[in-house]
Amino acid sequence: MAYMLNVGAHSEPNIEVHKYYGGTILGTCLLALVFQAFLHKYGRWAELIDLPLLVTIYFGVSRRNPVTGLFLGGTIGILQDALSHDNPIGMYGIAKTIVGYLASSIGARIDTEHPLSRFGLVFLFFHFHQAILVLTQRVLLNHPAPFFTLQLLLDSVVTAAFGVVLFALLDRLRKRS
Amino acid sequence: MIDTFSRHRPLALLAGVVLAQVLLLAFQIKRENNVRLVRYWAVEILTPLERAGTWMFSSVGGVWRGYFALRDTRAENERLRSEVEKLRLRNNELESQTAESQRLSALLSFHDTHPEASMLAAQVIGASADPTSHTLFINRGERDRLRRNMGVITPDGVVGKIVEVFPSTAQVLLINDKDSGVGALFAASRTHGVVKGSGDPEPHMDYVVNEEKLQGGEAIVTSGEDRIFPKDLLIGTVDNTAPGYPFQSIRVKPAARLDRLEDVIVLLSQQDLLPKKTEEAAAPVPGIVTPPIAPKPAALPAQASPAAAASKAPVGQSPAPHN
Repeated sequence: MAYMLNVGAHSEPNIEVHKYYGGTILGTCLLALVFQAFLHKYGRWAELIDLPLLVTIYFGVSRRNPVTGLFLGGTIGILQDALSHDNPIGMYGIAKTIVGYLASSIGARIDTEHPLSRFGLVFLFFHFHQAILVLTQRVLLNHPAPFFTLQLLLDSVVTAAFGVVLFALLDRLRKRS
Repeated sequence: MIDTFSRHRPLALLAGVVLAQVLLLAFQIKRENNVRLVRYWAVEILTPLERAGTWMFSSVGGVWRGYFALRDTRAENERLRSEVEKLRLRNNELESQTAESQRLSALLSFHDTHPEASMLAAQVIGASADPTSHTLFINRGERDRLRRNMGVITPDGVVGKIVEVFPSTAQVLLINDKDSGVGALFAASRTHGVVKGSGDPEPHMDYVVNEEKLQGGEAIVTSGEDRIFPKDLLIGTVDNTAPGYPFQSIRVKPAARLDRLEDVIVLLSQQDLLPKKTEEAAAPVPGIVTPPIAPKPAALPAQASPAAAASKAPVGQSPAPHN
């Protein structure tokens, strides 16, 4: 896993790649999954935020390596599927794999440090993630889920706002160069 | 190739990972009838391929069987065609032989039925060139002891009489020729008359008074008074009747098929044929029945015989009508 996360680290030598202390990425991802499952016990408000998605986007953008991003997203998604009681394993896995890949690719090209750009990035990735999820449900499960609702819009805004805060906190875990 | 893969390795990996997860999902998801999605997909993907494969093999097989495997078909077809022609000819020959055999069998049967009568089988070899003349040529002549005015019959009925004799052939005047006249009587009523030809396919029976009540299908037999045919040989049946002056007009349907004669019997004498023998021997030959001799009724009505005049008249002449 650690090898996979470092694969491609030398492919873009001119781009600044943020590094973290050992076990930071793994621990953060596990915590995000645990919190996501734990917070569900405390009502509807917890569903507004998709913590695993935020972690996927953050580390994808930070590591700026598409291979790392897709494996990280895929692993988080599959674990998230495993923790849900009715999702077939792979639903979130596919969505987060693609999100992780794209986040890594975009992170190497645009500024992802500014809070506004982070807000926009999370907002867009939220809906992209949702679109892949709905598409998968429609194609594979024959389940006609909606692509866009006001509730989803609210969720995306809340998640994006929370993401700005979370990303700032996670920035503190970076190694100082 | 390797460079291209290295350049697009992340994208290839993405595709691989997503595909792996799609397959993972397909293993878990069940569609209608509890069929796993992966099996559903496999069937959907493979069935057209199998269908295409089957179609391809069928087409290739069809082309092979329809073209390449038929290299020798033309020759075989020619050979079979030739064989069919030969078999068709052979079949016609056999059919002809069978028909001839049946005809000869009927003649033989007739001869066996009447051993007391002297008769000779003959084959029709030609007909008259004149369409208004109803005559035939047979393959028997003077050398076979044939003479003029000998009667000619078939097992079905009376045909005519010999009018000309040549060394090896003879000419037969049919009963429907306009110069022909045969002494006749109705088998049931024993009323006499003369069956005369008129040139039409069907002869007429003359000299029957209008008071005589006749029915269609009534048998007409020879009276024997013309000194040509023995008594009670079947000539034909009444086809239809119409009142006339001074006698009825009666059309006769000949018992013998005068338009399809191939083998005939020449009666060498006018000796009467015994009806008793006919009944005994009619059965053994299948398909050939119709004894030409009509049974005599128990009582013979006494009646004037105009046919006697016909018998006295020369061949080809009809007697004068009785008024």
